[in-house]
Amino acid sequence: MMELALWLRETPVSQAIRALPWLWPLAESVHFVGLALVIGVAGLFDLRLMGVLRHVPVAAVKALMPWAIVGFGLNLVTGTIFLVGTPDQYVTNIAWWAKVGCLCLAGLNAFVFETRLGERALAVPAGGDTPGAVKVVGAVSLLSWLGVLYWGRMLPFIGHAF
Amino acid sequence: MTDWLLWLEQSALPTWVRESGSVWGYPTVLTLHTLGLGVLVGASAVVDLRVFGFARQFPVASLPSLTPAIFAGLAVNTLTGLLLFAADASTKAAQPVFYLKLGCIALALVATVRLLRLVRQAPDDGALGRAGARRWAGASLGLWAAAITAGRLMAYL
Repeated sequence: MMELALWLRETPVSQAIRALPWLWPLAESVHFVGLALVIGVAGLFDLRLMGVLRHVPVAAVKALMPWAIVGFGLNLVTGTIFLVGTPDQYVTNIAWWAKVGCLCLAGLNAFVFETRLGERALAVPAGGDTPGAVKVVGAVSLLSWLGVLYWGRMLPFIGHAF
Repeated sequence: MTDWLLWLEQSALPTWVRESGSVWGYPTVLTLHTLGLGVLVGASAVVDLRVFGFARQFPVASLPSLTPAIFAGLAVNTLTGLLLFAADASTKAAQPVFYLKLGCIALALVATVRLLRLVRQAPDDGALGRAGARRWAGASLGLWAAAITAGRLMAYL
């Protein structure tokens, strides 16, 4: 893994990312705006799936979800910039692997929701409670996104990335 | 000016936050500050985007339900922000971008609070449009993004 990281670090695109002094701070700022969209929008949807904010139909909260995907897209692009720019400080970092693990869990959980529970959940009207399985999927989603945030924030403290 | 900043950063709690090396010190305070940012700006953004006309299925009358989340995020970040400032008071007080961040937060709060009031008074899209709510939604969204950017730049400037 480290060999792959060191090879990536020597590629022209990786060198170009490190050569632009303004790119890293700009990408970090965008990464935090994306974070707010994911936490705010996906977090709100997860809470509704868990049975909070019942006066709003589940489908109405789902209508906001494209903005969580916008936030996630921003963070996928900026996160890739960080990874390609300094791959060596992430592949050796336990906090980064934990973050990737939480991301995979969030993705798998979203897949289960979309393929197995989505229709039942979206039919829940204003004032309606969600089925137990939907509550579990909502809670797993919320916890896995909080895990992504936690391990991301721990990158400099546990694994000494910057 | 510098005297009380040095006194502040040498006092017990800020020193512990900065120097303990404990995961409960600086890392936890910073993580809570990031989580508070997500809740505060994320919940505000939901109000802003709905007022812009996105996700029209979401009832405008339900938007005030987000107010407690916005103020909870603000409370967490005021508390953690004070601790983070106190831990490096003399350095942060000398950073122009820190004052830019505070200015953006103050203006963003004015826009967000104003928008929440308009949303409570005019709970449908037509009335919001006539009240000029979109301008406040744009100001809120832009100023929060600027506050985040200024905050991130504190690590670089």
